[in-house]
Amino acid sequence: MTYHPATGPIGAEGRYWDALIEGRLELPRCASCGTWHWPAVWRCGACGSWDHEWVEQPIEGSVFTYTRTHHGFGGTEAFAKPFSTLVVALRTVPIRLVGVLDPDDAALKIGAPVTGAIGRTRFGDADVPALRWRLA
Amino acid sequence: MSISLSGRTAAVGVGYRQYKRGTAPVPERGVLVRAIVDACEDAGFDPAEVDGFVSYGDDKNEPVRLMPDLGTKELNWSAQVWGGGGGGIAGAFGLAASAILTGQARAVIVFRALVEGNSGRLSAAVMAHHLNDHMVSAGILAPAQVCAMRAQRMFEHHGVPQELCAELVRASYYHGSRNPEAVAYGKDFDLDEYRRSRIIAEPFHLFDCSRENDGAGAILLVSAEMARDLRKKPVKLLSVAQGTQAGYGDLLENDAEALYPTAGFRAIRDRLFGIAGLTPADIDVVQLYENFSAQGIASLIDHGFCTYENVAELVRFENLIAPGGKLPVNTSGGNLAHGFVHGFVTAVEAVRCLRGESPNPVPDARTCLLAGGPGAPTISSAIFGVD
Repeated sequence: MTYHPATGPIGAEGRYWDALIEGRLELPRCASCGTWHWPAVWRCGACGSWDHEWVEQPIEGSVFTYTRTHHGFGGTEAFAKPFSTLVVALRTVPIRLVGVLDPDDAALKIGAPVTGAIGRTRFGDADVPALRWRLA
Repeated sequence: MSISLSGRTAAVGVGYRQYKRGTAPVPERGVLVRAIVDACEDAGFDPAEVDGFVSYGDDKNEPVRLMPDLGTKELNWSAQVWGGGGGGIAGAFGLAASAILTGQARAVIVFRALVEGNSGRLSAAVMAHHLNDHMVSAGILAPAQVCAMRAQRMFEHHGVPQELCAELVRASYYHGSRNPEAVAYGKDFDLDEYRRSRIIAEPFHLFDCSRENDGAGAILLVSAEMARDLRKKPVKLLSVAQGTQAGYGDLLENDAEALYPTAGFRAIRDRLFGIAGLTPADIDVVQLYENFSAQGIASLIDHGFCTYENVAELVRFENLIAPGGKLPVNTSGGNLAHGFVHGFVTAVEAVRCLRGESPNPVPDARTCLLAGGPGAPTISSAIFGVD
């Protein structure tokens, strides 16, 4: 693991960040029973296995929910207000990921299909790998 | 062997000091000591005899440091419920009861103190408890945003009418406007002002959000036997439950689909009512922790007072107000209109309303449900009652 988090210790998802930096979305699946885990785990709570495989996924899905933030909360300086944060249900695996809608779009609604790209969010002195979504 | 806690401990003293945020006259521990002594005086109990303390929400006031001011003779037990938000507020009473019933402590103060000059903004502290790189990458820096996303799903996908938030907020302000302790005292609630207020994070406007106060609260819990000899009518702890369930919690927004828009209380509802031997229909009044209006509504649904389908029949202004409403809620104004010291006012009012000391009395109320902080990864609720 090479990724140094901006906010504090991370869990079992070091590979996720390393892959994002290299331009890929990779997510973990239990090598024994095939369960997808997010948040990432060290041990599969379903079967007890300690082995996981990280599998590249397309960055696409649909809007599970969202909020459009108007207030200038400290730490959101990277985004012009208002901005929309999405929770996206990925199309290919039963995992949801968060990210900002860029550009914002008045047609935003739950269920809308989206595609994503990998960007960076400036947070303090750090550039945090980030997903940026666009209505498909 | 299983020991039932139902009815075997009682809240006997209440202290609550509240100030506008940033204006407490003394630092945080000083405000807390005052509130604890208030609670003891309310009960007719010597503060030096308090031998146990419990808090929640990452409170920073380690009980050992209170001993010189209180004259504490013996500190026999102290603890805190896990979690950065208000999810542990009712669970703190459960811990206190466990300590009392197992002989670890005789008289326990449940407390929470929050003074901005010492502990900073609560919203930032709660978020610091949960923050990670996933969240900051997506611009999520405040509890309001997380709760907003869950509320959006409850409204848009599950069909709960967003207009119901105004009913709950209006009822809170109605009660608060009649409470001399409340931030909303003497103020009329203006529905147009509510609707025109600035948007914080859609769907929340300013008035959908609890706003922080400086202050401290303390409630003294003792055994039901000891309570009989003290000054005020004992308010018995009939039930308490805390926890969470698989598919809910700190899961990077990956909660099970059905649980995502809830406030988390489905995990404890059956245990909560089961311990008390009661049902939602037996509850006379609710003190509802509402960090945000929508989470208050989700909490009422979770606890079984209504469903997605019939929530609009219950959450109506006239049903929610004392004295005659079908289910009076937040009779002092709650977090929204009484004041917000990490939700403690809801516990204070749970005791006061059952003693008949509420600014908006519910005649003959015998049972009060304290619905703890909604949307926290680990939540808790309690039921109090009087004979």
